[in-house]
Amino acid sequence: MSSDHAAKTISIREMNKYYGNFHALKGLSLEVEAGEFLVLLGPSGCGKSTALRMIAGLESISSGELLIGDQDVTEVLPKYRDIAMVFQSYALYPHKTVAENIGFPLKMAKVPQAEMDEAVRAAAAQVELDGLLDRLPGQLSGGQRQRVALARAIIRRPAVFLMDEPLSNLDAKLRGNMRAELKHMQNELGITTIYVTHDQIEAMTLAHRVAIMKDGELQQLGTPKEVYSNPANLFVAGFMGSPPMNFVEGEISSGQFRAAGMSLPVTGFADNAAVTIGFRPEDCQVVEAGTGQVDASVYTFEMTGDQSLVTFEYEDRHLVVKMPKDFEIASESRAAIAFDPAEANFFDTASGRRLLPAA
Amino acid sequence: MSTRRPGLFEPRAIGQMAPATKILLYTILIVWAAFVLFPIYWLLITSVKTPAAVNQGPFFLPFIDFEPSLHAWKELFVIDYEDTLRAYMNSIIISLSATALSVLVGSMAAYALSRVDYAPNLITILYFVALLAGVGVAVGIYDVDWMLATAVAVALFFLLARAVGRIYEVRLGNGDILFWIISQRILAPIVVVVPIYMMFQSVRLLDTHLAIILTYAVVNLPIVVWLMYDFFNSIPRDLEESAQIDGATMIGTFREIILPLSRAGLAATTLLVMILSWNEYLLALFLSTTKAQTMPILVAAMNAGERGVLWWTMSVTIVVMIIPVVVLAVILQKYITKGLLVGAVKG
Repeated sequence: MSSDHAAKTISIREMNKYYGNFHALKGLSLEVEAGEFLVLLGPSGCGKSTALRMIAGLESISSGELLIGDQDVTEVLPKYRDIAMVFQSYALYPHKTVAENIGFPLKMAKVPQAEMDEAVRAAAAQVELDGLLDRLPGQLSGGQRQRVALARAIIRRPAVFLMDEPLSNLDAKLRGNMRAELKHMQNELGITTIYVTHDQIEAMTLAHRVAIMKDGELQQLGTPKEVYSNPANLFVAGFMGSPPMNFVEGEISSGQFRAAGMSLPVTGFADNAAVTIGFRPEDCQVVEAGTGQVDASVYTFEMTGDQSLVTFEYEDRHLVVKMPKDFEIASESRAAIAFDPAEANFFDTASGRRLLPAA
Repeated sequence: MSTRRPGLFEPRAIGQMAPATKILLYTILIVWAAFVLFPIYWLLITSVKTPAAVNQGPFFLPFIDFEPSLHAWKELFVIDYEDTLRAYMNSIIISLSATALSVLVGSMAAYALSRVDYAPNLITILYFVALLAGVGVAVGIYDVDWMLATAVAVALFFLLARAVGRIYEVRLGNGDILFWIISQRILAPIVVVVPIYMMFQSVRLLDTHLAIILTYAVVNLPIVVWLMYDFFNSIPRDLEESAQIDGATMIGTFREIILPLSRAGLAATTLLVMILSWNEYLLALFLSTTKAQTMPILVAAMNAGERGVLWWTMSVTIVVMIIPVVVLAVILQKYITKGLLVGAVKG
């Protein structure tokens, strides 16, 4: 058991991982605050799981430093890092009962049996597993296995929780419930948590801060609100949000953004021959043809229950507009998309970086 | 799922079959069972026959066809008991030791192969083999002192191994190592029996337990590695990593996680290797003369004496040979259970 139950900070400094010639993690630097819920978000193969496994000590750190609290743990064995990890596969010990699974970290720490039983009961109660303590993992449902994995992680009151896509094997409904429970639990225990996922909804709902990664590189670090409304580059803008942000390539010259059939005034931007405008589906309206920013024909119209999605065909791409649920429009009809240019984001097409207006 | 129509080649439960099918099925099964069990029945009755009862014709029903007698049992366990018991003890000692050794070493090798990625350089290995051959040539043909030759070769290897390895980088993988180990078993033992004989002759270990134990252990090693490699591969790595994070030492992880989960594989492998060692004849024939003779040698000797084929004593010997294998199978059977890994990962 850790001597103090206070949450600890995690400092990742210029952390690199090489597999032979493959540079899997490129100079990741992150400061995670004590008690913070940080989500590492990115598509598969972006290095987020590698980063988590390096923090756990399951992968060696090729170069860089890792501090948990004020202790340098770069070369420290996993068991001395005072961490607990929830695996995507749950990694329950199939030959041990639920109680033995949950109590395993304490058994390894040679905690007396009576104290261990008490802790197992408390942890099981916290994740609502009472009554299942004598079962084997094979006799549990997916959600119950998930809870066993969580209970095993919380029983030791570690300084840090590491979670590798813990909800991805659950069905959609259960995932929603577990997400809420997880957030509640983390908040209650106040344990520093690093959570890896490719699901941006999980990232948005769970995180205090989100670190978005791609190809082993950190793209942006910020609160969910920041990364959503002020994406640092095209990748982040396209990754966050469902449906994702609409992009149109064009140019900026003398205070005007121009693209095929589209021209809108912009202020504070320098002339640039290759600019991409991005606007979110929920920031636009469908209006009469000729009265919006861009005219296009309706490609398809979808009702999702709580809203309507109108997909336009514009040039060789699709633009999506989110409308209220009672909105209706016929396919193939002509209409226009209207949005406030001040709400739009502009990106340098070549570098992908977001362009900020001069103050 | 009772409403689901079974597939064409999917077996139906006995209860769902048409009567004619059922009769046919049982007939086939009974005939097959008789076919399999008859030799054992034959052994049992022949072991209680007198030489006269054997020679006078095929009798199959004790107390009706012939009068059972413990003649052969008495001959083996009262008159010649020293030879019989020695061979029996030899067989037990040799099989148990060889099995223990090969399962221990082989499963450790299999575990390492399943968990660690090795990348030995082919050129370095060839360099090592070339040096080994060089020592052989130097000692065998040019009469160089063997210690000197070995020392020079060892020095050359450590001095130049890295440099030689850098000439041309060809990395082997775990699959290559595994194939190399298994390939040792592809070679028929008869091919190497003479070199093995000469080797043990030169170290004066012929007709000892040690020689046979070592040979059996080595011969069975590839089987153990092959079976256990597959078995360890089926245990998710997540479990070990989780145990590590949960604070288990390497030994703790092995004792708490790996060992309980690989019990079924170890039991099956042990049984197989044990039976192979127990029945082995060819190598034992070469490596033992009297003191270390095993049961199969004893059986074969009864086929070649000046008294003709001694069916009665041979049957007794085989009956007592079968017993330990059956006992072991019964003991190990409870560990050979399916579905041990259910619930480890996902759902």
